[in-house]
Amino acid sequence: MADTTQSEQLEKRAPDTPELDPIADRSMSGALLISSLLLVVTLIWSLYDEVVGQRPWRSYQRDFVSKYGEYLETAKEQQGKSEAEIKSSPEYQELNQAYEEAAAAAKAKTDPIDEQGKRLDDKITAVTAPFTDARSWIVAKTYQLEVTESESAKSSLRAAIERKKQEKIDFTMPNDEGKEEKKSLTFPELETHYNSLRDEKARLGAERVQITQPRDAAQKKRDEYMQDHLGGLTAEQVAGLQRKVEDFKFEIKQINVGGVVIDRCESCHLGVREPIKLTKKNMGWTDGEDPAEDAAAAAFVSHPNKELLKTHDPDRFGCSTCHGGNGRGTTSVEKGHGRYKHWLWPMYYKENVEAGCNQCHNRDRVLQGADLLNRGKNLFQVRGCAGCHRYEAFDREADALSNARQSIKTLELERTDRGREYEQTKAEAGAASTKEEDVPKLLKKLDAIRQMISQVDARVDEFDLQAKYLMQDVKKIGPNLKEIKAKLRKDWIPVWLSDPQAFRPGTKMPTFRLEDDEIKAVSAFLWQSALEVKLPSQPQGDAAHGKELFKTLGCLGCHSINGQAIDMGNQVIGGDFAANLSRVGEKANYDYIVRWVHNPRQRLAPYSPTLKRDLTPADYKKKNLPFVFDDDHSKSPVDGRELQIQNMTVMPNFRLSDQDAHDIATFLTMQKRPGVEYRNASFLDDASLKSRGEQLVRRYGCAACHEIKGMEDEQRIGTELTLEGSKPIERLDFALLQEPAMRGEDPITGADLNREGREGWYDHKGFFENKLRSPGIYDRGKVKSADERLRMPNIYLPESDVTALTTFLLGSVETNLPQSMRYNPSGGKKSVQDGWWVVQKYNCMGCHNVLVGQDSILMGLPMYQSADGKEQLPPRLTSEGARVNPDWLLRFLKDPSQATPAERASLAQAVSGHAQAGGDDWTASLALHAQPGANRNGVRRYLKARMPTFNFSPNELQALVNFFMGASSQAQPYIPERLDPLAADEQGMARALFSSNAAPCLKCHMTGDPAHDARATAPNFLLAPERLKPAWTRRWLLDPQLISPGTSMPSDLFKRDQAHDRWVFNGPTPPAFQTYEKDHVDLLVRYMFQISLEEQKRLGTGGGAPSAAPAPASAGNKTASIDRKTRRLSSRGPIAAIRALPGKSD
Amino acid sequence: MDWAQLWTIVSAPDNVPIVAMLFLVPFFMWMGLRQARANDRLAEQLEGDPTLAKTHHRKTWPWKPHWSRELHVWPYLLRIEFLAVLIVTVILFVWSITLNAPLEEPANPNLTMNPSKAPWYFLGLQEMLVYFDPWIAGVVMPSLMLVGLMAFPYVDSNPLGVGYYTWKQRKVAIGAFLWGFIMWIALIFIGTFIRGPGWVWFWPGQTWDHNVQLYEINRDLPDIFGITSQPWKGIFGLLVVGAFYLIAGLAIHIVVTWSKFEKKIFERTTLLQYSVFQFFAITVLVSMPVKLLIRQLFRIKYVMVTPWFNI
Repeated sequence: MADTTQSEQLEKRAPDTPELDPIADRSMSGALLISSLLLVVTLIWSLYDEVVGQRPWRSYQRDFVSKYGEYLETAKEQQGKSEAEIKSSPEYQELNQAYEEAAAAAKAKTDPIDEQGKRLDDKITAVTAPFTDARSWIVAKTYQLEVTESESAKSSLRAAIERKKQEKIDFTMPNDEGKEEKKSLTFPELETHYNSLRDEKARLGAERVQITQPRDAAQKKRDEYMQDHLGGLTAEQVAGLQRKVEDFKFEIKQINVGGVVIDRCESCHLGVREPIKLTKKNMGWTDGEDPAEDAAAAAFVSHPNKELLKTHDPDRFGCSTCHGGNGRGTTSVEKGHGRYKHWLWPMYYKENVEAGCNQCHNRDRVLQGADLLNRGKNLFQVRGCAGCHRYEAFDREADALSNARQSIKTLELERTDRGREYEQTKAEAGAASTKEEDVPKLLKKLDAIRQMISQVDARVDEFDLQAKYLMQDVKKIGPNLKEIKAKLRKDWIPVWLSDPQAFRPGTKMPTFRLEDDEIKAVSAFLWQSALEVKLPSQPQGDAAHGKELFKTLGCLGCHSINGQAIDMGNQVIGGDFAANLSRVGEKANYDYIVRWVHNPRQRLAPYSPTLKRDLTPADYKKKNLPFVFDDDHSKSPVDGRELQIQNMTVMPNFRLSDQDAHDIATFLTMQKRPGVEYRNASFLDDASLKSRGEQLVRRYGCAACHEIKGMEDEQRIGTELTLEGSKPIERLDFALLQEPAMRGEDPITGADLNREGREGWYDHKGFFENKLRSPGIYDRGKVKSADERLRMPNIYLPESDVTALTTFLLGSVETNLPQSMRYNPSGGKKSVQDGWWVVQKYNCMGCHNVLVGQDSILMGLPMYQSADGKEQLPPRLTSEGARVNPDWLLRFLKDPSQATPAERASLAQAVSGHAQAGGDDWTASLALHAQPGANRNGVRRYLKARMPTFNFSPNELQALVNFFMGASSQAQPYIPERLDPLAADEQGMARALFSSNAAPCLKCHMTGDPAHDARATAPNFLLAPERLKPAWTRRWLLDPQLISPGTSMPSDLFKRDQAHDRWVFNGPTPPAFQTYEKDHVDLLVRYMFQISLEEQKRLGTGGGAPSAAPAPASAGNKTASIDRKTRRLSSRGPIAAIRALPGKSD
Repeated sequence: MDWAQLWTIVSAPDNVPIVAMLFLVPFFMWMGLRQARANDRLAEQLEGDPTLAKTHHRKTWPWKPHWSRELHVWPYLLRIEFLAVLIVTVILFVWSITLNAPLEEPANPNLTMNPSKAPWYFLGLQEMLVYFDPWIAGVVMPSLMLVGLMAFPYVDSNPLGVGYYTWKQRKVAIGAFLWGFIMWIALIFIGTFIRGPGWVWFWPGQTWDHNVQLYEINRDLPDIFGITSQPWKGIFGLLVVGAFYLIAGLAIHIVVTWSKFEKKIFERTTLLQYSVFQFFAITVLVSMPVKLLIRQLFRIKYVMVTPWFNI
């Protein structure tokens, strides 16, 4: 049916099967139930997540408590056992008995006092309530009185208070027998009574302390004995820890340092500060069987360096300050350690942990205890990193120098302006139009301007002087390339440039990634820009003597050489501070080496920083001056400004005689492989290569380490690294390696880094390490022209050095810690901090022992191992500041030869002699100049190793002196102590001691007699008054081994005289001493500080002291061998040894 | 294809809503349209059967015996809403437990993150910055959208289709809305999945390479025609924009008067209503995709260049 709709059909069917309403008839209870249940489940889940999921430290704490408790149990048992052993020892028994006796004695006296005290307490309790009640009433009323305005109210209040004070107060109080007694007192009486009771109580307390004092002292003594002998905690202390663990509070353990550092590290690392030493083994280490257990065990250990924590109390410094990481994070290990994308200061990896020191110790050149960081800083300086990369504090002289020059320029401008102003004012004063009354004012102004001009001049002079000093101090890592024409074999240069490591393994010269034609261009440019001079030819010397000198002078403190060359095995031997000289003969010209060895600081031509060129004899001739430039002739003849008159090398002047220089040079030129020939390099003279070479030299920043003509003022080409560690990771250019590195793949091998458990790429550590290992690595896959490639050369560092430098760079961070947390020392510590820069710059530690525990390079050499060899070692400087007078030290460092005025005068003559001879040509600069104090040490002339002249500027001299004074905690300025002059009888007695057979001082100490000095092993006494400090000398005489272990100076020279509280000579003394009551050491010190040349001669000639036994000199040439024996025996008491010697008479 | 990268983007907690929308928007659109289709059928039926129309009492359900004529909000609507509340609460709970909102590093004024993206709901706006100058994209367009959304009820002269799903009776309104809404979602999608470092267009699966280098030169339309100086650039642009408004207006007119029904509605519309509708439709709904296309296909940056603003 066409007109029958669907609904009609439905309608018809409806009565049969009533259809349910899809909305009204449908029940939703099922869905609602399920949803509600789901909601309940999620609610529970969220609670669980809140309480457990977000607080993982809770399970750590539970774990710690159980493991620590277990460990303490065993520790207690163990400690208990050893404690019992100690307790059974007779010493302990004795101490314990003393304690018990004292305790018993004390108890007898304290018991009645305690009884009395108890009664007193009851009384006080009874009085306190009525008294405080009345007092509060009065105080409240008094306050009302104070704030009330109306007079009538005031007077009524006053009256009320008065009444209250007169009122009797009733209370009960126990009497002495303990019975309650009724009392009735007014307020003032009550107050007096109350106070008297309290005074009585205080008196009793003091009395009690007095009585128990001996008992407490005995107890302390006994417990200290236990502590000293037990090693670790006593069982009782362990029990204390156990109690602490039982009461352990499960909570976040937080350190809050002034809101700056908030660290919750100890919420999991619970063992860090426990007084008992916890190791992984103690805390359930399973040795890899259960990684989760092992992780927990590793987290619970104590801090490995408790000493460090003593100076860096976590309550003052926190944890993340040093270690990095997110100290606030508690939700996961990863978060807490800060090793996730959004935390900018991730925890340092274990191998780089010392990076954390640098944040506060960034100004320290040497930081004790942070060896790796120090190594990193060393490398940064020694390998010349600072040449290209600015780093605040490194290369400070160059920075200061450019500042000084800038200041001079500014001042000169100011001077010109003032000059103009002066002229204008003068003209104005003289002008007809000027009013009469203005003239005096103008004249006054003229005066003022003149004075200002003179002030500006004075400041320019000062800056000029500073510039001179700084030029003396500024050093470059590499040699001066202006002199290569005189120095090098031409054919060798391209060979060297192509692979420096091949020629000299371990050299600091890095390998630049240059093509052959680039090497040619660079060599040609360098060759052609060098100074054109012909060195006078030098006669050959004696190689054998040269070798001897090379071995003994101290060259090996900085330089290394193949052991075969100096008959010391096959290994490379010596220091790595300077070049390895094994093949130096293949590269250098003999004439130049002579000149260099003779005085490395002597330049061929001075450089004028203002004219920006090297001066030539012609410049000097124009002013009719000889071509002479040295410390005393350092001003430019052209413009009067300071010149660079030294080679910028740290190599010092050994003050060699010409002959010795020839000998050493002859020895060094023999250091080559036989028959080595290099390819002819005639292209070095090809002028067409020069401009390309210059471009390359500029591009690769060669001038960072070398002096190169025309590039004296080159800027650094590298990026500044002062804050490199906190550079955002986005700013580190990983180039094409970034995407795989971010994914956690090794971009080179494609290995999955995360799976191997170490992430080594996309972080600062990874960037630095990979860059240092292979500086061109971030060019991988890039299509670049030669001029766009990364410039940093390959430096070939061993892996340990990569870690050291990476540590240093990771620690180079911007700090937001308050000043109070950082290390900003003052006084002596500041001097030490500043001085280290100089000490390290010149490698003082190559020859000297400067730090306690540090060994110099020389100390490790085979020839200094024997007893005789040890005497030839340069002196230890660990207590130099305490030993010497700072004024003397300054003079000594300036001229270690201690040249006499006469010697200096003759030197000046020699210079002017050269000048005469030189005239206007190069001769004066090419000749070997006479040396100050030629060929000798100033103090220890018997040493074969020589203290060289470093040409320190006054700035550095002062820094060094302050360093030594600061390192020995000496106050500055030093005012010498006045010593009493010797009385006539004292003179004789002292002389007797001085030359007695038991202590024949002059046998070892130098006297100035050449025959004797050849055998001497100690300095001349004549130097003592100006050199030494009396207090130190006294300590030295008492026990030299304490100050300088291994010294040949005998110990036990004096013994303690308890009766007179003094030291007396530990040997036979002449009869005059019988009546002498004063200290013998003082006597000897005073004698030493007043000894004269005549006195010494008198002793030295064998006359000796008339009152003493025959002088040891009579023993003739046995002396030397006796000395040596004495020294060897010194360890078992030198006096006994001396007594045991033949020819000894008492 | 860089699946790892794609997965990183898709699974980022920040992107959960937009990923969900990729599924939810089509789903609800399908649901709505299905309902609309059913209603449209019913309407057809009722129109052809007056008796049924008389007895029919619920708008979407055909009448059945024993059914009450009206259903109350309580409990029939509210219980459904309550169920929805429960389910949404459960979802929010689970979401917030499992996906933490990361607290990022402190802002560094010297370092802008790359790509630096707005929250997902603003990414459409950010993407618009590519096509219009900041004044237009950031201020004018969003304001127009809001004002337009407020104005549309008042320019609507269609009395039908209120309170129930329908397609036939409101083709223009629903079509215009869907057009705008999908466009908006598309912009957010582009901002989330397509724009990588440097706001460069990366197809899904392409690595977001920080080192990417592109050769893309954008020109202004007047430059192509050799017009390089003011005020001619401005005048030329004005002409082009005017022409665009004319053509787009015409096109919209053809669409909204396509059928007899639409024509009838059009006749009920006043000139003011119609011109307001046209203005917003052209400015918001048409210009946006047109600009996107000429920018992406022809590398045209601006059509109209004036010293004060650009279009």
